[in-house]
Amino acid sequence: MPHSEHLSKQFDSDLEDIRSRVLQMGGLVESQIRSAIECLSSGDYDLMAQVTDGDRQVNSYEVEIDDACAHVIARRQPAASDLRLIMAVSKIVTDLERTGDEAEKIARMARQIYDRGRLQIPRSADVRHAGELAVAMLRRVLDAMARLDAQEAERIIAADATIDGEFRGIVRQLVTYMMEDPRTISTALDIVWVAKAIERIGDHIKNVAEQVIYIVHGTDVRHTTREIVPESDGGN
Amino acid sequence: MASVWLALGLRLLGIAAASALAGAIFGAVTGLACAALALAALLTTHTLQLARLQRWLKAPERRDIPDAWGAWGNVFVELYRMLRREHKAVTRVQGELEIFSQAAEASPDGLVILDADDRILWSNRVAEQHLGLRGEQDVGLLLTNLVRLPGLTDLIAKGSKGTTLLHRPGERKGMVYSIEVVRFGKDRKLLVSFDVTQIERAETMRRDFVANVSHELRTPLTVITGFIEHLVEDTGGREELARRQLLIMDDQAQRMLRLVDDLLTLSRLEGEVQSPREEEIDLAALVEDLRLEGLRLSNRRHAVLGMASPDRLRGSREELRSAFSNLVSNAVRYTPEGGSIRIHWTIRDGRGVFSVEDTGIGIAEEHIPRLTERFYRVDRGRSRDSGGTGLGLAIVKHVLLRHQATLEISSQAGLGSTFSAVFPAWRVLPPEPSSAVTQPQDSRLITKSAS
Repeated sequence: MPHSEHLSKQFDSDLEDIRSRVLQMGGLVESQIRSAIECLSSGDYDLMAQVTDGDRQVNSYEVEIDDACAHVIARRQPAASDLRLIMAVSKIVTDLERTGDEAEKIARMARQIYDRGRLQIPRSADVRHAGELAVAMLRRVLDAMARLDAQEAERIIAADATIDGEFRGIVRQLVTYMMEDPRTISTALDIVWVAKAIERIGDHIKNVAEQVIYIVHGTDVRHTTREIVPESDGGN
Repeated sequence: MASVWLALGLRLLGIAAASALAGAIFGAVTGLACAALALAALLTTHTLQLARLQRWLKAPERRDIPDAWGAWGNVFVELYRMLRREHKAVTRVQGELEIFSQAAEASPDGLVILDADDRILWSNRVAEQHLGLRGEQDVGLLLTNLVRLPGLTDLIAKGSKGTTLLHRPGERKGMVYSIEVVRFGKDRKLLVSFDVTQIERAETMRRDFVANVSHELRTPLTVITGFIEHLVEDTGGREELARRQLLIMDDQAQRMLRLVDDLLTLSRLEGEVQSPREEEIDLAALVEDLRLEGLRLSNRRHAVLGMASPDRLRGSREELRSAFSNLVSNAVRYTPEGGSIRIHWTIRDGRGVFSVEDTGIGIAEEHIPRLTERFYRVDRGRSRDSGGTGLGLAIVKHVLLRHQATLEISSQAGLGSTFSAVFPAWRVLPPEPSSAVTQPQDSRLITKSAS
């Protein structure tokens, strides 16, 4: 644990509560992305509506957690690792909320595609694969946050490149598709948006991973190359 | 104890006697000096033994127990015995603990013990696989931080025996685990995870199979019934016998079609994961509809009466209508000519009760628990004659399950039966202010039933 015992037990439990709520929110976002990808391959309208509902829940998580952070800052004046945790959490929450928005966007695109009466989606297997990569990344980063595992967080930052690669691959293939048959252009464009959303999710998760490293080591690794990241010295 | 005092007494006595003797021979000074020396020697030996005991106590090791004679020897022997007994007890307890932890480890289900704050105290390897935990490394962490399944927090906080949650871990594709939380001891919780992948798969296969078969059968059946109908109507130049045979064919084909339709309905209801639509249903109007439907079915052989309180019900209109109409048609079917059927919608202790009461043949008690099974027949011959598919009550049960309602059946053979659907209070809505008009209409129905 980055924070040691405080004189006030309540403070400890406040911090712990914030951390768990972030992880709960992450769990919800994870299931949102999974459902959104599922919408895309199944065309299940009810599931799409469910994703839209779920996003509202994600948003209220964000508001709640931000509020809790503000409360802790105002009442306890946290210092050192506690302050680091609070600051990182408020950034993580923003990234998670945007991830949730991207999931909703995917579900919306799915609706649009199926409304147009398309039963088969070009490159859907690739999109699905990229989506699963993103879900796995999110799960790993949340695990790393729960276990305060900075090394794992570093590996996740590196994994973002795979999703970027997938995205470029999908776009390249869709371009050939559109050139072959201009009638597919509108659907292909929607798919590009979906792939872009997944790529964005990867970026957000990368940001979360950076914040996890910040919580553990207190080192800001944003906008740096990987070599600068300190080797784990047992962290906590 | 006594022996220690005795030995000390004897020794002091010996010293006193020897000193007195020395004193008598060599003078008082020598005697006292002897006594002092002897006492000093005695004290030294005791202190020495005490020092050995103290040294040993700092690192108590059974085989290093000091050796001595006399009272100290006895003390050391007792100490040795005590240690041996204790060692045996510890070994036994350890053995038992080992058995328990081996058993817990060998359990085919995942087990996680949580403390009052939901932190992991212990988990077995199966649980680690099911939930993606890391054994020792995760001890002391909040379980809900590691298994971020929406709904798990609630399950742990207020989960009772029998409530389970399905967990489909992303990292183990296609696997489905069922999670249950049991409380034990003081604030401890035992989380149990079962692998239900196979069950789930078998269940899906069965459901898909029934749905597919029904669907495949429906198409040819529709064609056949269509042609038979045509033949029945087109009577031109056919013998009476052939016409009767055609009528029977028509009848049976229609029955088969109904059967397939019911099977399809049932498998659709079963496969539906989505909760039913939440519409506000005006039960008074629905009861009236059902009453007319019952009258039509009965062909004026029965009296069909309806009575409804103005409260509305929240649920899927389509599903509930089909369930209720199944209950009504059952009542018509099993009530002999001249009997009466009452359809009620009332509020009992805040809960909504829709019931259909008949004065029919009734059901013997032993059949009641099995009535909602598919194709369960109380009397094979009779129910088939009456045209039932054997799936009606199964459909009713499923629709009610989806509305968190229960089916209550009370019956007396020969006197009649009452089938009641009991809905939870939160599904009942107060009447719409404007719908108060339905009230007098209902009382009219009641007076009609009295006449």
